[in-house]
Amino acid sequence: MSGFKGGIPKGSFRSIKLRKRFFDIISLIIVIILAVLVMMPLWYVFRSSLMRSSDIFRWPPVLLPPDWLWSNYDINPLTFDFFKYLGNTLIIVVPCVVFGTSTAIMCGYAFARLRFRGKKFIFSLCVGSMLLPSMVTLIPLYIGWSTLGLVGTYYPLIIPFLFGGGAFNIFLLRQFMLSIPRDFDEAAMIDGAGHIRILVSVLLPMIKPAVIVVALLIFIANWNDLLQQMIYISNKDMYTLTLGLTTFLGSFKSDYAGMFAATCLTFLPTVIVYLFGQRFFVEGIVMSGIKN
Amino acid sequence: MLKLTRKQKHSENAIKEERAAYLFLIPAFLGLSLITYIPLLTTFIMGFFNLNVGHLVQNSPLGSPEFVGLNNFVDIFENPSIDFLNSITVTVTYALMAVFASIVYSFFIAVLLNRKIPARGFFRAVFYVPYVLPAAASMVTWYFLFNYDGGIINYLLVQMGFDKSYFMSSSDTVMQSLTMIAVWSCGNLIVIFLAGLQNVPKVYHEAADIDGANFIKRFIHITIPCMTPIIFYNMLMSLVINIQVVIPALAITKGGPGKSTMFMSYLMYQIGFRGRELGKAGAIAFIFFIVAAILAFILFATSKAWIFYEGKDERR
Repeated sequence: MSGFKGGIPKGSFRSIKLRKRFFDIISLIIVIILAVLVMMPLWYVFRSSLMRSSDIFRWPPVLLPPDWLWSNYDINPLTFDFFKYLGNTLIIVVPCVVFGTSTAIMCGYAFARLRFRGKKFIFSLCVGSMLLPSMVTLIPLYIGWSTLGLVGTYYPLIIPFLFGGGAFNIFLLRQFMLSIPRDFDEAAMIDGAGHIRILVSVLLPMIKPAVIVVALLIFIANWNDLLQQMIYISNKDMYTLTLGLTTFLGSFKSDYAGMFAATCLTFLPTVIVYLFGQRFFVEGIVMSGIKN
Repeated sequence: MLKLTRKQKHSENAIKEERAAYLFLIPAFLGLSLITYIPLLTTFIMGFFNLNVGHLVQNSPLGSPEFVGLNNFVDIFENPSIDFLNSITVTVTYALMAVFASIVYSFFIAVLLNRKIPARGFFRAVFYVPYVLPAAASMVTWYFLFNYDGGIINYLLVQMGFDKSYFMSSSDTVMQSLTMIAVWSCGNLIVIFLAGLQNVPKVYHEAADIDGANFIKRFIHITIPCMTPIIFYNMLMSLVINIQVVIPALAITKGGPGKSTMFMSYLMYQIGFRGRELGKAGAIAFIFFIVAAILAFILFATSKAWIFYEGKDERR
């Protein structure tokens, strides 16, 4: 307070700067240590997947595999058929991502741009369903699919994504579209563009990051799922990667190296997809404007 | 042709707009009704019937399910082989631990990453990656990391002079171990906190700097109050996810050791799909909903006391 009267002492700005510098360095050190800890499980899986089963739990543990046994990845397809499971997973995930993202865009547009009766009510139903644990509706849905005779097919895993791809994604796209000034739409409308045209050629290019985030979130949600897949899929030929992996874990004898190789292979596709869309992620989530 | 007055033209446009909106919302209508709210209502009803998987077969010899009143609800609590009360306790304990630990961890990381450090983007990616990994595969990984004889975590513990721990293989430590995994994989919370931190007005910090407030004081009096709405949002999201915990049990623990990880969702899966008693599973889902609603309600009710909204002078 008294600093203002006599002017701020000359040293104070420099000391603030120095103090900041000091805290930055401390932060960096903590971040590096924590990052190493966070990455440790992944490194451990990768390391173990290249070792002899007998060496994996050797005491003390080694940092790097003594020999790089890539042959561990040659897993017997009878226990873990990676390419078949990958194909099955993609059969589920690709339609979910495509349909989920496009229907979420449609719904997001309606909530962001169009005026209609009952908007508030429908929107609050939509947001409300974000809070509803999906566990609660699991059994009624199973009964529904069962009456339709679709248990044992992929349809129960795919069809729900034809319906807007989840409330959170609709919400995220709506927030994004709201952040874009209406002037763009109005200009297009004067040129005679309809709603579909405005959405596809005016808004869509501007909200590309959000679209990628939504596609990624749907991808991850499907790739992560285990419970629904367990309920609806029983035929081993239709197994997904996570189902195959858990079955492998439940049945394996002492093929630890194969187990780790299978785990590593299960991680791989998500890591690749994530690295591809990574830079959009933060941007997309920041823009969703959590406060509203 | 008649010339339309401005008003007529306007209302014609409005009708067009409304029609477009309903067309665009067809997927949402179908989704909200068919896969959300109608099943929700069904859950409330089916707990009162002795529905079995066998009833779902066409021309089932079981005939149609019968109304059994509160029998299912009584049974899930009183039948010692189901012991639903244990499941509620276990699930709520896990959810509270996981939410609390994840919030503290992710907030801490976000604050660190918000400082001027090199390679921020890289570190952000590092902390986010566990969230995108398939949870079942992560569980398998941690299961081996926690291995008693040769697991690397026990090795580190011994090196630091601690005793070895059984982690997921003992009912005393399985909860803490699962909480650790939940914390490890909560990268989405970090990203949301980071977004929030970047929205904290810089002027506040600058003013406090000039007044000579140190880092800790600024953190308590500026950062935390400004972040309370986002802390609330993250707590809510984290609660909804963690109360539904099921993958650790499905992939690794199978509800054990003992009944220490017999989570509500897993019990529901066991009763409904292994035991084929959908009516009882429906009763479990019903109570699951109520438990989740109570926790969310408590969070909402207390939030008024601690959330600080900008633009209001006073708290609350």
